[in-house]
Amino acid sequence: MVSKESCRNEIRAAIRQLSDRCLYSAAKWAGEQLVGIEQDPSNFTPSNTRFQRGSSSIRRRFSTNESISTPQPSVGFSQAATPLPEEDETIDGDLYLLAKSYFDCREYRRASHVLRDQTSKKSVFLHFYALYLAGEKRKEEEMIELEGPLGKSDAINRELVSLERDLSALRRTGAIDSFGLYLYGVVLKEKGNETLAIASLVESVNSYPWNWSAWSELQSLCTSIETLDRLNLNNHWMKDFFLGYAYQELRMHTESLAKYDYLQGIFSFSNYIQAQTAKAQYSLREFDQVEIMFEELLRNDPYRVEDMDLYSNVLYAKEACAALSYLAHKVFLTDKYRPESCCIIGNYYSLKGQHEKAVMYFRRALKLSKKYLSAWTLMGHEYVEMKNTPAAIDAYRRAVDINPSDYRAWYGLGQAYEMMGMPFYALHYFRKSIFFLPNDSRLWIAMAKCYQTEQLYMLEEAIKCYKRAVNCTDTEGIALNQLAKLHQKLGRNEEAAFYFEKDLERMDAEGLEGPNMFEALVFLATHFKNHKKFEEAEVYCTRLLDYSGPEKEKAKSLLRGIRMAQTGFPSMDLEHFPI
Amino acid sequence: MAGLTRTAGAFAVTPHKISVCILLQIYAPSAQMSLPFPFSSVSQHNRLGLYLLSLTKCCDDIYEPKLEELINQLRDVGEEMDAWLTDHLTNRFSSLASPDDLLNFFNDMRGILGSPDSGVVQDDQIILDPNSNLGMFFRRCILAFNLLSFEGVCHLFSSIEDYCKEAHSSSAQFDASNNDLESLTHYDQMDMEIYAIDKATEELELQKNVSGSVPFHLHTPEAIFKVIEGLRVSPKESSRTSKKITETTLVASASSSTVVDTLVDESLFLRTNLQIQGFLMEQADAIETHGSSSSFSSSSIESFLEQLPNLAPELHHVHFLRYLNKLHSDDYFAALDNLLRYFDYSAGTEGFDLVPPSADCSMYGRYEIALLCLGMMHFRFGHPNLALEVLTEAVRVSQQLSNDTCLAYTLAAMSNLLSEMGIASTSSVLGSSYSPVTSTASSLSVQQRVYILLKESLRRADSLKLRRLVASNHLAMAKFELMHVQRPLLSFGPKASMRHKTCPVSVCKEIRLGAHLISDFSSESSPMTVDGSLSSAWLKDLQKPWGPPVVSQDSGSRKSSTYFQLCDHSVSIPGSVSQLIGASYLLRATSWEFYGSAPMARMNTLVYATLFGDSSSSSDGELAYLKLIQHLALYKGHKDAFAALKIAEEKFLTVSKSKILLLKLQLLHERALHCGNLKLAQRMCNELGGLASTAMGVDMELKVEASLREARTLLAAKQYSQASNVAHYLFCTCHKFNLQIEKASVLLLLAEIHKKSGNSVLGLPYALASISFCQSFNLDLLRASATLTLAELWLGLGSNHAKRALDLLHGTFPMILGHGGLELRARAYIFEANCYLSDPNFSVSTDSDTVLDSLRQASDELEALEYHELAAEASYLMAMVYDKLGRVEEREEAAALFKKHIIALENPQDVEQNMA
Repeated sequence: MVSKESCRNEIRAAIRQLSDRCLYSAAKWAGEQLVGIEQDPSNFTPSNTRFQRGSSSIRRRFSTNESISTPQPSVGFSQAATPLPEEDETIDGDLYLLAKSYFDCREYRRASHVLRDQTSKKSVFLHFYALYLAGEKRKEEEMIELEGPLGKSDAINRELVSLERDLSALRRTGAIDSFGLYLYGVVLKEKGNETLAIASLVESVNSYPWNWSAWSELQSLCTSIETLDRLNLNNHWMKDFFLGYAYQELRMHTESLAKYDYLQGIFSFSNYIQAQTAKAQYSLREFDQVEIMFEELLRNDPYRVEDMDLYSNVLYAKEACAALSYLAHKVFLTDKYRPESCCIIGNYYSLKGQHEKAVMYFRRALKLSKKYLSAWTLMGHEYVEMKNTPAAIDAYRRAVDINPSDYRAWYGLGQAYEMMGMPFYALHYFRKSIFFLPNDSRLWIAMAKCYQTEQLYMLEEAIKCYKRAVNCTDTEGIALNQLAKLHQKLGRNEEAAFYFEKDLERMDAEGLEGPNMFEALVFLATHFKNHKKFEEAEVYCTRLLDYSGPEKEKAKSLLRGIRMAQTGFPSMDLEHFPI
Repeated sequence: MAGLTRTAGAFAVTPHKISVCILLQIYAPSAQMSLPFPFSSVSQHNRLGLYLLSLTKCCDDIYEPKLEELINQLRDVGEEMDAWLTDHLTNRFSSLASPDDLLNFFNDMRGILGSPDSGVVQDDQIILDPNSNLGMFFRRCILAFNLLSFEGVCHLFSSIEDYCKEAHSSSAQFDASNNDLESLTHYDQMDMEIYAIDKATEELELQKNVSGSVPFHLHTPEAIFKVIEGLRVSPKESSRTSKKITETTLVASASSSTVVDTLVDESLFLRTNLQIQGFLMEQADAIETHGSSSSFSSSSIESFLEQLPNLAPELHHVHFLRYLNKLHSDDYFAALDNLLRYFDYSAGTEGFDLVPPSADCSMYGRYEIALLCLGMMHFRFGHPNLALEVLTEAVRVSQQLSNDTCLAYTLAAMSNLLSEMGIASTSSVLGSSYSPVTSTASSLSVQQRVYILLKESLRRADSLKLRRLVASNHLAMAKFELMHVQRPLLSFGPKASMRHKTCPVSVCKEIRLGAHLISDFSSESSPMTVDGSLSSAWLKDLQKPWGPPVVSQDSGSRKSSTYFQLCDHSVSIPGSVSQLIGASYLLRATSWEFYGSAPMARMNTLVYATLFGDSSSSSDGELAYLKLIQHLALYKGHKDAFAALKIAEEKFLTVSKSKILLLKLQLLHERALHCGNLKLAQRMCNELGGLASTAMGVDMELKVEASLREARTLLAAKQYSQASNVAHYLFCTCHKFNLQIEKASVLLLLAEIHKKSGNSVLGLPYALASISFCQSFNLDLLRASATLTLAELWLGLGSNHAKRALDLLHGTFPMILGHGGLELRARAYIFEANCYLSDPNFSVSTDSDTVLDSLRQASDELEALEYHELAAEASYLMAMVYDKLGRVEEREEAAALFKKHIIALENPQDVEQNMA
């Protein structure tokens, strides 16, 4: 078990080292985790308590079953406590200092040039890293300049070749440090050499685990659980962060949640963990919980833009217009040129029914980040709303081509084709989406509806789908009702009665009423009456009598019929004298 | 799609275009002199002009030549001044040291354009007319450059650097051949020449547009695939300049860009957009013809296709090609994936130019075509039920969107599907189709449905003037009418004519209607699709005349003849059409087979094999081979047939759904029967029966054939009651599934069984029924053999009927001898001899030659056939006759022959050993 103190010390040193190498986002991440560690009560400072108050309340609300003080010692945080590497130069070279300031001013090529003949490890890394970033910057610019009529996008980072050559030479001689390995991994990944990239990144994180950027690169290469399992990683608490993240991306949400729960033992106030938990909960469709979590998160970190698109999705799903507009306004003021911001605004307009404007903002989001997956999907939804199905299909297809496991886009494709009256064609897409998310009742119901359309009218298949939906705990209760109706239509009254009863139970449990209820009651009453089970029939009839309208009359006549049947042959055994 | 397509950047300045501009500047410098500096003669000047014209013609290229290639071409064009030209070009490029130089360069260029309002033109002044082809190109370049942002100029600048870097520095030495041609030509004549070229190229382009590619054949599911495929590339699309990829280096690498010094690879630099489409089409054709054979590597195409989307993400056509490729390498999942992706992106509007785009279609897309393709894909992968569902949906959607063209194709596809799928398996499937078209016919049999679908499709295709579809529908109709007896469908009643539709006249009419396509194609010039092979064909041809005739034109007449030649070549018929016509010949052969004219069948097959063999698809070619082999087996004996089969096997066994195995089994069975190896025969029968029930469903016709052969085997084994049981059952099956033609042969078989079992009286009605069936369906050969059986039955009733039998025989002799196979003829001969011998009025001693001639003839033919049973009979009869005549030596000879055949009949194994 790592003590919080040792964690803290590790991170503190790591932040310094990371920012020395200008790995700012990794340093930022580490910093977030640093303040996420629960303070010792002994050295509380007023600012700390103020900062952490909000988080503790939410943590208490949602992790009641977990004892914070005694995290499970099972897996063990630190069997291999990696020693912090000593800095090879205590006093930085003048050139390094100059280069770093250039770097901080985003003059990458200049920084790289200054360090061209330096030999210290830090300088060498910064030299290559600056070169890489310079290439990336140029690539981004070229991408816009070269954009042709066919969307030609073959702009490449021109430095990759020389970087790969130099870094592999360094690696051969063994003069490469863990940061160099990270950069080497990144370069290899961009060149498409994934296995080598994974090897390089694994080596990097094993020797220096605090570089979150390396972990995230590694995650992006783990596209299947098999790859993940094959990784040979040293045990370290950073590995748990990594696994949590990787599980989440592989849609293993419960495993991921378990990891985060566990990590919260140390990093109890980490915004990152909270956001990730919220993400996982969102995928599990726990919207209320997610909303509260995000509210807390925003209270602690009001200028946060990351992950806020997810929050906006939740607000969208809950149709909270005002809250969504508030959020949109806030992120707009914070940083309007972030894809997340555009996405939030798009969501807002979509909720308001102004689909053209929504599309405009989603498109802006895509301009800012080509691979921003959810914008494609959301744009597809907008086009569906605008009845522009070809455009919707195109947008969904792009989402799918970026990430083939995006079940929402597959589902959208299915929906679009169904809208065009091609249910059979749509089925394939529904099947695809279900393949990636097999335990979502909505997808099963959509597929069943597809089978049910008058063009296909494949009721047996529809029934199968509805059964799957019921097994996936269908919250809206469509499946049970439909199952009952379908069986009724096919003349299987026993099965129909079974499902009507189940549906009735569900409605009773949820305290719902409505036409479905009447329908179920009427059917059950007549069904039991026909089968001479008068007692059950009477129960349903009397329930019907509670309501007004034609159902009441129906119930009355049914009751009359039952009485007749009962009184007409009071002493006779019905089985012996069938009418 | 909608909204996401960027505005088309129609014309971009590239280093290659700057090269052309530099050359243009040399061609028409602003200085006013009659002949600019480097040119020694007017013709030389003109030559460069023509060359430049051709360069500008393909400025919308997908691939642009490297500087090196350009220099090589210049060498051919420039002759003695090539060194100067090359030097000038490279110097000009090397003088471009900064973006500013580029700017100045284009400013200078503006000077060489004549001002549009300068009306007075001196005679000897060279002016680049701004409205001429060259001038337009020039202006476009300048305009495009002016539109460039500074970043764009920088990019252009750096790409020029790359362009020059690649060029080889060493300019080869050239012997300046001194050929001073006629020195004085007038400029207006030059204009005429340019005009001529213009005209020629325009014509070429027109021709290219006219030519379409719809490879077609009847029996495979690819049939309509290819129709669709042919319709994918439309002139409209290819003229869209947005479909432009600059620097498609991989195209170059794909088409072997090794430039030999002497031979300029013209095909490299003449790649217009049209041609990249053509290239893709060519690939598609290649996939199609060699698709499933092992020699063809689909992976090479695949890797090429995988790169293409990186260069041109909006060129969705690639996905379709990938689909085709996967389809032919039998990768179901990848094929499905690519098909769906293609239609998701293109919405069916790209490439499919079935209907002129109307206002509403842009909104909805044309997803019904996706359904059509998907249906055919399922069909090919052997999921007929899925295919039918999808096609039904396609029918519904195209009706909904009133896309009549697609509907016509879909109906044709459906009828193809239904007729291919066999009859037994469909009844369950059709229960679930709800299409308005099919549902009206829900009470009808499958064949009737096929007929209705075909009719509908034909009607629509006719009114929409889809020539290929019309032709293929006619062929399908002919095939259908050939195979099925049509009673009037919807009009029942006393007045409805009961004419059977298998009459050869109507079949022939349909076939001819189908073949009219060819005349349509040569006479009409409506814009059709681009045929990849064709456009590259004239390209190949262009290489030849380009060098000498154009450059060293010594007389006008010769030059024009080359041009004529050039045009002439491109008037050839597109491959698809010739394939369709080839199919019609095959069908003719089949119909003649049915009607019983062997020579005609053979002739038609041979016509097909010789004329259309190379343009045909592999399955059609296979069919032709099969027919020829069958013919061999019937008329030349088994030995030849097996030798031919071996050749065919090597050639076609890799074809998917190969029918070679089927034929082999048939031949083996036939031979086993003849040799008396009944066990082998039985085994072959069983294997045939196994082939009939595939995963796709039961092939009724094959099944019937298998049972027919089984009955014959039983008959040969003298198990008469079992044989007649099988035959009776078979007759019922045929009746149930409405297989009229098979009925006739089953009846004949029954008659045969009764004849062999000695119940001639029972056999007579069957034989008569068979004859009447044959008569109504015009099956002449079958009728002849039925008549023969009838005669045999008469003779079986007693020798007093010999006269009648002989008369019957003589009545059909012309037919039998003219068209019948070896076996039938031998049988007829033997029977004739039998008749004479059993005729009490006939005396052997006086008229022995009549009998002996026939018998000799028969035994010769049976020798080739290795038919021991009949051969033994013939020898026996011969021996008897000789005995009667008292010719002992010959008698012994015949008897020995008889013995030999009998022994061979009884010990069939040792003969079979070497065969299997």
